[in-house]
Amino acid sequence: MNKKGLSTLVFGLLTLSLVLSACGTNQTNNAATPASDNGAKGDEAPVKELRIMAGVVGGKTPEETELFEKEIERLTGIKVDINKPASDYDTKLTAAISSGEKYDLLQISKEKMNIFIEQGILTPLTDFVEGSEVLSDIPSNEWEQVKTKDGQIYGVFSKFQGGTMPIVRQDWLDKLKLKAPTTLDEFYTVLKAFKEQDPDGNGKADTYGLSTAGLYEIQGFMSAAGLKQRYVMEGDKRVIPYATEAAVPVYEWFAKIYKEGILDPNFATNDSGKMRDLFLTDRVGMVTYWDAWVGLFNNTRLQEDPNTTFQAKGIPGPAGPDGTILLRRGDPDVWVIPVNAEHPETAKQFMDWWHTEPGIILGSLGIEGEDYSVNDGKYELTETGKDHGMDHGVPFWYNQNVKPPFGNLPGVDDAQKIIVEHATVELTPPGWTDAEKILNNYAIKAMTGEMPAAEAVQKMHNELKAANLID
Amino acid sequence: MNVIKRYSTLYLMMLPILLYFIIFTYYPLLRGLIMSFQQFRLIGDTPFIGLDNYLKVLRDPFFYDVLKNTLQIGGGILIVGFVAPIVMALLLNEIAQRKFKKIIQMVIYLPHLFSWVVIGGIWIFMLSPDGGVVNEILLALGNDRPIHFLSSEAYAKWVMIFSASWKEMGYICILFLASIVSINPSLFEAARIDGANRWQLVRRITLPALYSTMKVVLLLNMMSILRMFDQIFIMRNPAIAKYVDVIMVYTYEKGIMEFNMGVATAASFIVIGMTFILTLLTRIVIRYDN
Repeated sequence: MNKKGLSTLVFGLLTLSLVLSACGTNQTNNAATPASDNGAKGDEAPVKELRIMAGVVGGKTPEETELFEKEIERLTGIKVDINKPASDYDTKLTAAISSGEKYDLLQISKEKMNIFIEQGILTPLTDFVEGSEVLSDIPSNEWEQVKTKDGQIYGVFSKFQGGTMPIVRQDWLDKLKLKAPTTLDEFYTVLKAFKEQDPDGNGKADTYGLSTAGLYEIQGFMSAAGLKQRYVMEGDKRVIPYATEAAVPVYEWFAKIYKEGILDPNFATNDSGKMRDLFLTDRVGMVTYWDAWVGLFNNTRLQEDPNTTFQAKGIPGPAGPDGTILLRRGDPDVWVIPVNAEHPETAKQFMDWWHTEPGIILGSLGIEGEDYSVNDGKYELTETGKDHGMDHGVPFWYNQNVKPPFGNLPGVDDAQKIIVEHATVELTPPGWTDAEKILNNYAIKAMTGEMPAAEAVQKMHNELKAANLID
Repeated sequence: MNVIKRYSTLYLMMLPILLYFIIFTYYPLLRGLIMSFQQFRLIGDTPFIGLDNYLKVLRDPFFYDVLKNTLQIGGGILIVGFVAPIVMALLLNEIAQRKFKKIIQMVIYLPHLFSWVVIGGIWIFMLSPDGGVVNEILLALGNDRPIHFLSSEAYAKWVMIFSASWKEMGYICILFLASIVSINPSLFEAARIDGANRWQLVRRITLPALYSTMKVVLLLNMMSILRMFDQIFIMRNPAIAKYVDVIMVYTYEKGIMEFNMGVATAASFIVIGMTFILTLLTRIVIRYDN
């Protein structure tokens, strides 16, 4: 063979090996998943297997997720493979499933679950839920959140989902000798005092009464007009209450506090992180945010200074004309089983276990020996456990028989009571993304006084109607 | 055939690259094209539905909103992002002190190296009505109240245009500078002897020498205006979404947020088609091949 022929052969083999090695890796991975539900191979003892894709359940790092998998195997005997992307969960979920990857369990939001149900790719779980002793502890009204129109259940809660509410600086209220507000007028008085009476005592006029992250979190105030965020169905008619005349007085109220500098001027461009920072740095006296954050706010300041006077407290919004308080309950995260799952029965067994004490402790505290240890029946968090904040996908849960080993953070219990009593999930049909843009555009113009509220509502109503987004 | 046999080693060396493009570019493109004619489902059969997805996009009033925004913002970036680097390159070329020139070059080039996450965050912070440096300066200069640059319809598109042009100005400026330094110095010398002033040197020698670079820059910019995404995604907010959302944001919303991949890929192929036409027209207008 001449020199040229030899080099041709070498390049050829090199290219071929490159292609084959790339394909080979994939084959090895696929071969690891048996097709049967019990995973029995020949005479070996049956090993149950499960492939999970989750957004928040698992370790905080890929290394900890591996330990998480081993812990599940230790506690349940199920060999678990968890795919927990570090970011862009929805994108990766779409890419993985549409490219043919098979999972037994997916953790998704209720909004995504509705899309998946519409595509017909989820296994109905109604019979399983109704027949499960463990899941029967979850109150029946909670299941209404995830039921379809025809009463079917396709998802099992992966955790207790809270809601959003006005969170006020109780220590500022006490300092200024004010009571927690219950009407829009009282909210105005309190927020104005936070702006003008130097509640942080630094001698500077550098505080705002209220901050929000855009229009996302104003449900607590729209409650005063008895209006629910996103869509409501009036018979067969799709209605967006924020785009009705009833919302005008609330938009005008916002325009007033904006004009007087009581509302954070950045409210329209804020993300929730910026809003939280303002609250934690004594720049604002009230924000509208999640119940769980009442505790996190208090805990953060307590960690910084054990003698802090900082006290965040969740309060209900103003009641509507019929006396009802409307708050927003977050879309619940659920476990679902895709129709192409290879181990659906093991998946159901896992979902049951997830709501028992060992499952809850794993989802909250984390892994024994890594995040916590148990001495004489008493839980102790390790340094890693403290860093992980007792949250491995389940900061709160439904099973009332399992008490939090360290209790809840200060203020959370009261805030959760308000949410459970007053908060409801929103209706989000397809097309909400488009409707939201129209709503935001005019609502923010009305709230900043750029456009009279009545005109803004009329325009948003007309545009929504023209785009066939309301009936 | 003889030629292939003769250069078989070279062709084999090209094979890995060719395979790379086939696997990671052309195959996904083909799959996307097929998907744009199907009713998308994450699992199971995906029946062909002809042009339905394309018709859905073309009948969607929101698509025309984002198309209008894309053309306005993209057009603005095309003009400002083309003129500003030329002006900057000409100004830099006039600086005699080399060290100062290099420092300025480095400073204006730096934003190109950062991602939009960083640059967008910096601009959002600088334009904030609550303590943002731009508003602080305006207030010091006598403005009676801060301007809400990023929540106002009047400013939103301009902020996108100027921040994008600012970010890429340094990079494109270097391309022009490279062309300027390659101009034969004797041309300037001869012109000076003939009595040409500084403006005439720029007008008659420097700018004509930049034509070929201008063509390349214009064509590259034209190819990217319909594909802008990162900047808008980072800097948009609910107050201005209606005025700054571009076609790729529409595609993202349809595909990732609504899991409507058929419509999303149809919108993407409309973008590809429009980019193709725009690029072709630009090539003809600027006589790229001459």
